[in-house]
Amino acid sequence: MLKGERLNIKQKYQGYLFVLPTVFLLVLILGFPAFMAVVNSVTPIWSEGFSFTLENYTKLIHDPVFLNAFSKTAYFVGTTVFIHFLIGLPVAMALNAQIRARNFFRVLAILPWTVPDVISGLAWRYMLNPTQGIVNHILMSLGIVDTQISWLGNPQLAMPSVILAEVWRAYPFVMVILLAGLQAIPEQLYEAARVDGATFLQVFRYITLPQLKRPFAVALALDVIWEFRRFGVVYTMTQGGPGHATEIFSMRVYKEYFDFFNFEYASAMAIVVAGIMLLITLPYVKTMVSEA
Amino acid sequence: MNMRKITRYLTGRQFAYVILLAMLVFNLIPFFWMLSTSFKSLAESFQTPPTIWPNNPTVNAYTKVLVYGNFPLYFFNSTVISLSSAVFSSLIGALAAYGFSRFFFKGRYFLMGAILASQLLPGVLLVGPYFKMLATVGLYDTRVGLIIAFTTITLPFSTWMLKGFIDGVPKELDQAAMVDGCSRFGAFTRVVFPVIAPGMVATIIFAFLLAWGDLLWCLSLTNSESMATVTLGLSRLVGQFRTEWPQLMAGSVVAALPPVALYLLLQQHLVKGLTAGAVKE
Repeated sequence: MLKGERLNIKQKYQGYLFVLPTVFLLVLILGFPAFMAVVNSVTPIWSEGFSFTLENYTKLIHDPVFLNAFSKTAYFVGTTVFIHFLIGLPVAMALNAQIRARNFFRVLAILPWTVPDVISGLAWRYMLNPTQGIVNHILMSLGIVDTQISWLGNPQLAMPSVILAEVWRAYPFVMVILLAGLQAIPEQLYEAARVDGATFLQVFRYITLPQLKRPFAVALALDVIWEFRRFGVVYTMTQGGPGHATEIFSMRVYKEYFDFFNFEYASAMAIVVAGIMLLITLPYVKTMVSEA
Repeated sequence: MNMRKITRYLTGRQFAYVILLAMLVFNLIPFFWMLSTSFKSLAESFQTPPTIWPNNPTVNAYTKVLVYGNFPLYFFNSTVISLSSAVFSSLIGALAAYGFSRFFFKGRYFLMGAILASQLLPGVLLVGPYFKMLATVGLYDTRVGLIIAFTTITLPFSTWMLKGFIDGVPKELDQAAMVDGCSRFGAFTRVVFPVIAPGMVATIIFAFLLAWGDLLWCLSLTNSESMATVTLGLSRLVGQFRTEWPQLMAGSVVAALPPVALYLLLQQHLVKGLTAGAVKE
């Protein structure tokens, strides 16, 4: 920014003009409904002045179904994101190695990520079908299991199954960011380490990992954000069942709104979910904005 | 000594191929299974154990989906709704991105933070109020209603992504244009905009994919068959008792085609856009 420009008042107001349409629109279509959610959540009564209650919120704390959604979400997001990194890092490192046909491998490595989660949910639902599914068929012909497993019908296995579908679809995102990070590490660092006779593990521990810090953090933040909002894969695979075994936040709030029509209670629930979300991602927002 | 051999193998090129091969199998099995199933007859899809390749390949499932079903309509809805919100958000968002990139005004950080944070809000926070709002103004169960709803996702996203691209354009370019007699707006439309055109395409496609893959909003804000999108249409094909899997997988293949094709055509741009911000320049 030129120094003269910063002082120029006319220039300064031009900035507002550029951002005005977006800000105005977002206040109208995003800010207002979000505000309405807050208002609804306290069951407002407008007649003879204004009164409200925090009953919905106190009810939430003691609601076992909500607390269940809380732990199921932690389970789903935590495991999914962890496995994304567990698979994403080795694949990224393999793609970064001196290999042939790298472009071919890279294109196919990212492919699942382009598929909507609804479709991956449906595909895995059929693959995990107890009688006609290919997963049971493979496991049985390899002699690993001897009876048909009801993956989505078993409360213990349903969540891992949903996680499997989401791991398949979304790990390429983490992989691609880590790969970009790996490619940005200067070659000289590796050469210096080689000259010093460092072992692979030392190189990995003292060069690769520290250099990957930022891509790691960005991938982690974005992945948590996206998995936290996930809905389609659960809706198509289990709708939150069996029982409440896979009922993550988004599923629970949706049911509260559109199956039971508890609008005020659902709003309170959604506010709490949004609050948790913002709290977790606050460091990310802060860093991004301070750099912008 | 043995340990050393193991680490050398694990770090060698050979092992990289082992990992990549495992990756290929994992990544491609679901695609294969979708395709294989979509060419099976209904009877064959109910066989136990399942057949790997279709015994008598048939396009019946595709005919059912594309000719007799409502799928072309879903496809049309998804395309119109996703494309409208993606293009609209990217055009408006480009203006804001330019403002944030080139001007330092009061409230800049606050506004940028708010726009970023709005991206983090879970969709379920908004669907309830939206349902009521759209019903009040008569936009419930309409394409316009869904376009507005999707804009809440795509607009913050486009603004941030485009700001990254505009930051990469030297400010001297704008200055030079203005010295030559362009207004600020002219400098943006005639000089900066053409330079970021590839970034614009990448942003529109990302926004398009975001909207294309959504289920929650369509599910909450429409109810008639004629307004359903592909994701909603597919999710309704899963029956409570008997699901016609060949038909469902044929529909999934068709619904996955636009995103996959767009990705294959433009993968260089998309990967660049995806990883911007993760790696410091």
